[in-house]
Amino acid sequence: MQWTLNYEETWLHRLNPAFKLIFFLVLFLLLLFIHNPNMITNVTVVPLLLLLFSTGHQKKVLLILILPFLLLFFSSASSMMFFGQGSTTWWKWGLIHITEESFYRGLHIGFRALNFALLGLLFALTTRPVYLFYSLIQQLKVPPRFAYSFMAAVRILPVMVEEFQQLRAALLIRGVKKKKGIGRITQTVTLYAVPLLSQSIRRAHRIAVAMEAKRFNNKERTYYYKPSFSKFDLIFLLYIAIGFGLAFWMSGAFPYFDITDVRQK
Amino acid sequence: MKLKLSDILITIVIALVFGIIYKLWGPVYSLFKPFGLHIGDVIYGMWFIAGTVAMLLLRKPGVALLAETAAASGEFLVGSEYGLSVLLYGVVQGLGTELMFALFGYKRYTAFVASLGGIAAAVGSLVMDAAYGYVMDLALWNLLLLVGARLIGGFLIAGLLAYFLVQALDRTGVTSLVRPASDEDYKALDR
Repeated sequence: MQWTLNYEETWLHRLNPAFKLIFFLVLFLLLLFIHNPNMITNVTVVPLLLLLFSTGHQKKVLLILILPFLLLFFSSASSMMFFGQGSTTWWKWGLIHITEESFYRGLHIGFRALNFALLGLLFALTTRPVYLFYSLIQQLKVPPRFAYSFMAAVRILPVMVEEFQQLRAALLIRGVKKKKGIGRITQTVTLYAVPLLSQSIRRAHRIAVAMEAKRFNNKERTYYYKPSFSKFDLIFLLYIAIGFGLAFWMSGAFPYFDITDVRQK
Repeated sequence: MKLKLSDILITIVIALVFGIIYKLWGPVYSLFKPFGLHIGDVIYGMWFIAGTVAMLLLRKPGVALLAETAAASGEFLVGSEYGLSVLLYGVVQGLGTELMFALFGYKRYTAFVASLGGIAAAVGSLVMDAAYGYVMDLALWNLLLLVGARLIGGFLIAGLLAYFLVQALDRTGVTSLVRPASDEDYKALDR
């Protein structure tokens, strides 16, 4: 969350936000076509290096953000490792059936999830949402109605947090007791979700009316921020291309695992 | 029926609220999924709820897709641990919900259609899982458990809970702000 953390701007902040988004989506699709566990292990290093050394955030903050990824790695990998199909059995106990194939497939999925997590965090830590929306309008021709709605909605969130705290205090002072089981869900919906949502719907409606009263429309407009392209975009492109190239070459030259395709034949 | 600015703004505001919930749901889900038994996938349905809630509220074409995509973007922008994948999952899940309401010509907004919407979103997420997590290569009983839990989750949370939530919102009178005038409203004028 950009608006709460202290950080230094680095070259990654100066990338064109829309370019960054599109490029990351392309990387995402590319990662889906990697089926070689050696390759994905090497590829993980590429975003990790950027995250550790080029985001301009404090190491402490980065560590706190990266630690949950370990849990993610295991929760993504575990079901495939324990219950995947395969022919070379390593271990069998009740329903658990670990085979060589399923183990590596699980590992592969874990690394894949890790890659998406690292890339996602890299994007979130180095992109100011406001710049992103301005860039989406100007470079990708997203209708301003959508982009500005997004920016307005982001501004409403802190108000909602405040309202939530107010609600909680009010319920506490009236001695409302927490119910158990299914009752807890209905209680949460009626005591918290309904007032919070209905208030924010009213607020959003008022803002929309106000914006239209000020003649907000989709026609010609001028912009305060004008994101453009720079040499950093090219450097970033080269870094990723070289990183992926090296990862690919290394996976052929110095493989860690014998398996080169984790899919079930 | 084109989306007006107020429709878009309200949809995105609701979606961002759910986006925050989506983000907080990540660790909950990880804890609920011990040793790869997919029982915990029943709570996966929470990740489809923005689409059905927004659609039941605003009742206009395109709202479910917009809401689910916006919620996923919100989740992504606050740094989801699933990273970029949430964006694509969001679009596909939103499409699933949207399709179900479209199938009924955007005329029926009942608990039944909402449940179908939730289930369709679950199917969307499973399609993505097939590409992303090789789920087809799981042992059969495990795959069935995953599919079953996911669909039940979509039905219970994104279908019934969403319907219940919108009904409760209905009683506050706030929905009169957002819904287009219905035939009944016009008939009331003739009386």
